[in-house]
Formats: sequence, structure tokens, C-alpha cells
Amino acid sequence: MDRFTHKRLAPIAIAVIFLAAAPARADQVKLNVALGHPVLKADKKQTTYLKVGLTGFHLASDSERPPVNLVIVLDKSGSMQGDKIRKAKEAALMVIDRLSRRDIVSVVTYCDTVQVLVPATRLSDKYAVKQQIRQIQAGGSTALFAGVSKGAAEVRKFLERNKVNRVILLSDGLANVGPSSPYELGQLGASVAKEGISVTTIGLGLGYNEDLMSQLALKSDGNHYFAENAADLARVFDRELGDVLTVVAQKVVVRIVCAPGIRPVRGLGREVDITGQTITATLNQLYSDQEKYVLVEVEVPATAANQTRHIADVSVTYANMQTKTTDRLASALAARFTRSEDIVVRETNKDVVVNAVQQIATINNRKAVELRDKGQIQEAKQVLKLNTSFLRLNAVKFESEALKDYANVQELDAKGLTGPGWAKRRKEMRATQSQVERQQKR
Amino acid sequence: MAKAFRSSRSDSMKPKLLAIFALIVVAPLALLVWIGVRGAREQRGLVQKRFDQLLMSRIADAKSRIDDLLSRRETELLRATESAGLTTADLRALVRTTPAASQAMLLDPEGERLHPPASGPISNAEREFLLRAEQIWRDKHIFFRPSDASARMASDAQTQSPPQTITQSEQSQSATRRRFVPRAETVDGGQGQTFQSDQLAQQAAPRSAAVFKVPSVSRSHGWYAWYWGNGVQLLFWRRLDSGHVIGIELNRARLMADVIAAATPAEATLPDGRVRLLDSKGDVVCQWGAYRPAKGEKPRVALRLDYPLHSWRLEHFVSSAAFDAAFGRQQMANMMGGLAALGLVLVGLAVYFYRESSRDLREAAQRVTFVNQVSHELKTPLTNIRMYGELLQENLPDDDERAEQYVGVICSESQRLSRLIGNILTFARKQRDALKLRPALGCVDDAIRNVLDHFRPALESKGVQVSFAPGAPALVAFDADALEQILGNLFSNVEKYAANGGAMNVTSRQDGDRTSITVADRGPGIPEAQRGAVFEPFQRLSDALTEGVSGTGIGLSIARYLARLHGGDVRLVPSHAGACFEVELRTPAAS
Repeated sequence: MDRFTHKRLAPIAIAVIFLAAAPARADQVKLNVALGHPVLKADKKQTTYLKVGLTGFHLASDSERPPVNLVIVLDKSGSMQGDKIRKAKEAALMVIDRLSRRDIVSVVTYCDTVQVLVPATRLSDKYAVKQQIRQIQAGGSTALFAGVSKGAAEVRKFLERNKVNRVILLSDGLANVGPSSPYELGQLGASVAKEGISVTTIGLGLGYNEDLMSQLALKSDGNHYFAENAADLARVFDRELGDVLTVVAQKVVVRIVCAPGIRPVRGLGREVDITGQTITATLNQLYSDQEKYVLVEVEVPATAANQTRHIADVSVTYANMQTKTTDRLASALAARFTRSEDIVVRETNKDVVVNAVQQIATINNRKAVELRDKGQIQEAKQVLKLNTSFLRLNAVKFESEALKDYANVQELDAKGLTGPGWAKRRKEMRATQSQVERQQKR
Repeated sequence: MAKAFRSSRSDSMKPKLLAIFALIVVAPLALLVWIGVRGAREQRGLVQKRFDQLLMSRIADAKSRIDDLLSRRETELLRATESAGLTTADLRALVRTTPAASQAMLLDPEGERLHPPASGPISNAEREFLLRAEQIWRDKHIFFRPSDASARMASDAQTQSPPQTITQSEQSQSATRRRFVPRAETVDGGQGQTFQSDQLAQQAAPRSAAVFKVPSVSRSHGWYAWYWGNGVQLLFWRRLDSGHVIGIELNRARLMADVIAAATPAEATLPDGRVRLLDSKGDVVCQWGAYRPAKGEKPRVALRLDYPLHSWRLEHFVSSAAFDAAFGRQQMANMMGGLAALGLVLVGLAVYFYRESSRDLREAAQRVTFVNQVSHELKTPLTNIRMYGELLQENLPDDDERAEQYVGVICSESQRLSRLIGNILTFARKQRDALKLRPALGCVDDAIRNVLDHFRPALESKGVQVSFAPGAPALVAFDADALEQILGNLFSNVEKYAANGGAMNVTSRQDGDRTSITVADRGPGIPEAQRGAVFEPFQRLSDALTEGVSGTGIGLSIARYLARLHGGDVRLVPSHAGACFEVELRTPAAS
């Protein structure tokens, strides 16, 4: 059952080649390159999935982690008054507690205007920073874009490749001062991602713009969370820190060059740049013991049986946060062809296909939201129903609990399309979509 | 009666006093306020100007921070394009590693696009860029030297552009609005050539308000700005030595974020103000300062940014409190306080004067009231004394001269006293407007003789020769009592003040329905300056004149009043010596 039992596939999926200059004993990111169907049906043009999985190595202790350069950008608009601002402050205080003297932290608050409450500074005096946070009071409107801009500028003051550079943005409302479209925020996210800054967005309550918040996170490779209640903030910040404090690699560039004849169709999940035969994807960071992957659908031309065809060369470069070197991994992929349907099925890489199914279901889920936004509720429901059965079918086929769970989520989503719960459901859907697409730990 | 007398008196005095009050208090105060307000307004204008300059310098500060950012970005991009390779792969890598960039382009010296490649695979993002930057592909000639470009453009303009219909004024207007005069780094070609290419560039450009021209003067690098979607899009372009033009399109959101981070001061301490940065649509990009302007509030000062963000502007709002603080509300308060204090002093002064003058009046009035009351009480016994005195005079034996002399004195003195009392009572009635005449038919000369007979003994005893030249014998209607009172007052004045003149000449004359009587004496006369004043009540002339003489000071006033009531007047007529009063009465003849 286990795919590792198929030893004879080993020469096909060529082993990871280490080209890095790093010391041999140093930990390395684990590269797992695989095809959804390592054995393909002969004499037929078909598509399959190419997965480049990257798993961060284990971080033995907290002292090994790279220093963090973090800005907490807090919404203190009028809508945050009361429990929300109190819980947000508590969460921010918790973050300060979890960080150490090596880390750099700054706190930015925004309402109509932006205030740099704590300019970027080495966290040597936790007490002073916490006092500042405790004094925050809510009131005013929401200059979200300016908040992020100023927050990113604070991070930039200590921007270093061997630090984890991150903006944590909390908002409970619609951006109503300054640029406010998901597109613009996404553009900003894409730009800061080039500097190695990720923006994690936390939407609080039911008043925020989930499209904007998820776009900003997606494009900057930051996490996105939906916290329905102020009480959830502690958990969300804790999870976020769990990621931030276990970064093992940054500036991860995955480059897939398809062999002649192989046509890259589309990226699934994580956004990729397809130019000709070259597929490029950038991940801002890898976390300890977490797998992130780049998944691409490729079209393979008709090939005669018993042939082996070179599919693609994969190379990965990343900044190893432990050794502070730029490491390089490379691998190549090939596929075999057979006339036997059975062999094709038997040799299917379940892990890759399950991921592909998840991503396709997520695409469908996005489609459903789009339809629902246009008011086509029935059509949206239909899409989600189909999605549910598609997931159930594959759950059975590949004995996947994950797919089964995801099918249940689709069912809930379908139910939530109407009624007063839609606002919340939409936020949940957006959060799930970006979490699946980026393999965010949930 | 006494009460009525007093109140009616003070009532009549009020308007005059009010006028004085106004003169003393209101006029100087108004003058001071006017001067103060004028001064304050002038100062306000001055302070306003200084205040606005301060605000302007504040936003100019923000503007210079934005300018710095753009020139820093320019320098960065110059450096990035300095060493950049020109292959498509190099440019893609450049875009991937330049946070500020969203896409890149490359034109060969002929203006042909090399990147994004016309043939060969391109990414979706590059495809979008080609659409977004359509303007550039049409406008690309402006990146090249004018000498090269003008030739090409001239043919372009002839073959591609529709006939020009822009009027001269439109053209110049749009030129000033859209054009940016660059800091030319390498100007080549003469003035004429530049101008020519300028015009051509203008003509060749699509006539859309959304287009901003890049300088057509030769520059080796610069900004190109155009509108797309929600706002202005910027492209940094550079012409390399090889003649290639490399362009880097800026990520608009990132540009905005950088502008926000640069413009917003680190210590945003504007307790009473608000600075706003607005984009080309007038939307707020960012703002700082604690003041929250009301919707629709006009900014105090505004400043436009320079090219290429010239469609953006900075606005400074301030709360009125801040402005007042700058204006110096304290100063204003001080000034107002000073004015108020001055006003108080003036009011005090006015009150003091008012009290002084009204005390005099009150005292006189009290005197009259007292005398009036006493007179009434005196009138009845006096009448009895007079009646019995006269009876006694008539019934005295002729031989007792001594007794006759004594009784004469009693009679004349009691007559004098009753005249005095009559005057006082008349005056009191006049004050109450209760005086009425009772005309009856009679002869004026007889009435004069009658009065003269009463006065003759007293006058002659003082050595005054009385002469009467009668001239009013006709039977006319007049009030004998009133005439008696008038003449009595005049004669008693002669007795009191002009006895040393030694003569009193009375004449009467009738003319139609008017009768006039003159009473002339040879006394000291009345000084010119006081001729009007003698008729005022309670007016007595100098001490020298009135020394040793008693009187109420209302005699002439009563005489004139009665005469006027009688349709005439009592006048002081000029004479050679002494005083000469003329009494004129309307005396309709009996019909």
C-alpha cells in the first residue's frame, strides 16, 4: 500500500541530489518531487500532476530558531471597542512574552491615522513595550492600507535575510481610508514578498473584508486566519507564533523546467509563474516539520508503451536559516508508460493525487463564492454539491480522511450559502481556501 | 402736587442727559472698539498669513519627503538598470528581485519592443502589462532623442494621426496642464528643434486628458506617468548608451505604501491639525494629525505634488481652536478686557456727572417744592393781611400821616409777597401744564395803570421816576391777571435791580390784534452774553448784580411763559442804557 514499497520506481523518480555547499551533517529541507501518475497510459495525450513537496527540517530547540523581525499592526478603529481591543491587546502582550531579546519588534496602530506606537527595536525592554500596548484605546475609522504600509516600513528598518521578517495585521473592519481593494492589497503583498516580508492577516469578527485580507496574505505568503470572536485571538496568535518561531528556510524559489513536449497547464493552489516551459514559484519561508508544496498540472503527449519519458527538471534554492547559507536542491522526474489501466491505477501516487483533488476542490469552492456573490445561489449550491461528491468519491478511492473532512466542509458551505450565517460562512470559506492553497497549518 | 412737580421735571431732563451720557460713554467707546477691531483685523490677517505659512511649510515638508522618496527610487532604478542584462530572462529576474517593480520593458534603438517579447512565451502578468501599458507602445517615440524622433514622428503624424483640430488655445492650455518641464540633464539640439519636436509630440499624442507627457527635451532617463484603472501608473525609463530604452513599471500599491510611509511623520503630533494626501481621484491616500475635519470642510492650505505625482495633492486642515490659538485669543481677550475697563471708567464718569447735575436740579426742585408748599399755606393768611391792610388804609383818618405811611408799607409789602406767591404757584401749574388763560374784554392801558398804581409808592420811595405813555386804549380780549403778573415781574425787577437808574419808562402800543408794552429802565442793564439766560428758570445774574437782593429766579421765566401762552412773547430789546423788555400779546379786538 505504502508508496515507498514500490522500490522499482526509485530509479524513475530520481533521488534528491544535494548540490549545496552546506556541511553534510547540517539539516536540509526535504525535497519530495513526484508525479500523480508515475506510470501513465500509453498512446494517449493526458494530464497529470507534478508535485514539489518541501518539508522543513526539525528545529530541536527554541534557541536554534532565527531571530524574528516582527511588527504587530493593530486595528484600533471604533468598531474594536470593548472586548475586541482588550483581547487583541492581550494577544499582542502574549506575542511579546513569547519573543526573546534577540528579536526585533514594533507595534503600529491605526484608525483614521497611523501611529507607530513602538518603533522597530530590539526587544530588550519587554516591560516598556507592553506598557505601550496596554495604553491602546479604540476609536475612529480604518486606515488599513496605511497601517500595513507603515508596519512594513518598520520591518524594513531591520530587514535581514537571516531574520524572519513578518507583519501581523489584525483588523475587524472594512478599510475606509486609503486604498481598499483586494487587488491593491494583493499588489502590496506581492511587493513586500520580494523583500522577504510576509504579511499574516487576522480577520476578527464579521465586519472585515475577507477578500482583501486573504489576498494580502496569499500574495505575501503569510498566513490568514478568521477569528470569529475576540476569545479566538489568543489561539490564532499562538498558532501564528508557532509558525513564526519555527522558520527554518526562507526565500525558497522553486523552478520547474518541463521537458520538450510537456506542456504546463496551470498551477494548483500556490500561485506559480508559467513562462513557456518554465514554472517558477516563490515561497517566503518553510516552517519546521511542515510540508509546503508546489503543484502543477502538466499535459503529457501520447507516448508509446514501455517508454520512459523525461518530464521535468526541478531545482530549489533557499536560504537555510540555521546554517545561514543559500542551499540548492535539484531533482528530475520521468514517467513510464503502459497499456495496462490496472498498473496506472496501482502505481498512482495517492499523496499527490489527494493534494490535487484538494486543490481542485478549492478552485471549485472559489467558483461557488463567485457565483454566490453574483446572486446565483442555486448554481453555487450545485457547484458545492458536486464538489462534495467529487471529494467523497476520491476519499473512498484513495482512503483519505483529509478528503472526507474536506467533503464535509463543502457540505457545510453549501448549507451556509443562504440565511444570516452567510457573512460568517464566506469568511470561513475564504480562510479555508487560502489555508489549503498555502498548506497553512490549521 | 409736590411729587408730580418733581417727576415731571426730571422727565423733561432725561433726553438731554441721555444725549450727554451717549456722548461721554458710547462715542469714545465706539471709537475705541472700532480702532480695536480694525487693529485686530489687521493683526488677524497678519497672523493668518504667518499661520498659513507655517501650515504650508509643514506640508511642504511632507512633499519634500515624497520628492526624496521618488528621487531615491529613481537612483535605485538607475543603479538597477545600470548593470542589468538585456535578455528577457535578465529582465524577468530584475522584476522578480526588485520589490518596487511590477514589470519591465525593453525597446531597441529603433523603438521595437524586445521585452515583453513579441514572440516567445510570456507570462500572464506580462500579458496584462502589455494591455495596461498600451499607452506606452503608442507613445514610445518620446523616449528617444528628438532629432531621431521628430523625423519618425513627423511621418507618424502624417500617416496615422487624424487631422488636427485642436485650437491654439486648447493646445497651449493642455500644454501647460499636462506638460512637465524637466530638469534637463542633457539637452541637445537647438531651441527651435526642441520646440518643433515638442509640437510634434503634442500632435502625435492621443488627445486624452489622461495622458501625461514625458519631456520631449532630450533626457536619458525619467518618469512616464499614465492613467490606468484607479489611478496614476508610473514607469521609470532609461535610454542606454546603446540606444536601447529600458523601462521599469512601478507597483502602484507599493508606491502608495512607500509614499505613505515616507510622508507620514514618525512622530505624528498634530494635536489640532490634519494633513491629508489625496490621489488623482481625490481619495485619501493617507492622513495624520489628531483633528478630524468635518465632511466637506475646506482645507486651510493645499499643495500639489510635482511630476510624476502631480495629480496628487496635500491638504492641511486645522481646527478653529488651533487657529484661534495661533491668532492669540489671549491677545483678543486682553484687548476686549482693556476696552471693557475703559468703558467702565467712562460709565463711572458719566454716572458721576449725571449725579452731580441731577443733584443740583434736585436741590432746586426741592427748593421750589418747599417754597411752593409754603406759598400755598401762606396765601390765605396773606390775602387776609392784605385785605385788612387795604381796609385800614381807606378808613384811616387823614391827619395821621405816620399811620398812613406804616399801613402803606404793610400793603405794598403784602402785595409783593402775594406776587411772589402767585409766581411760584403759576410756575408750579406750568410744570403740571395746568395753566389756562381766562381772557376777558378790557382796556390794556387801564390794566397797566392799575399795576403801576400798585408799584408807584414802592418805586418812588426808592427814587425811581415812573412815566407811562399809554397807547393801547382799545377794548380787546386779554387775561388781566396774566398781564398783571407779567408786568408785576418786570416792575419788581426794576425795583430790585435797577432802582439806582432813577427812572422807569413804560409805553404801550396797539397794532391790529397785537398789543406791545415796553418797560425800560436806566439800571446796569444785562450783559450781552446772558441775554438768553435771563429767561431760564432759576437763573440769576452775577453776584454783583444780585447782591443783597432776594428772589426765586423764576420771574422772567414766568413772564415769558405767560406771554407766549397769550400768543406773544417777552423779549429783551436793545437799548442805549439799562434794560428794556418788550411784552407782546395777542389781543383780539372785541367784535
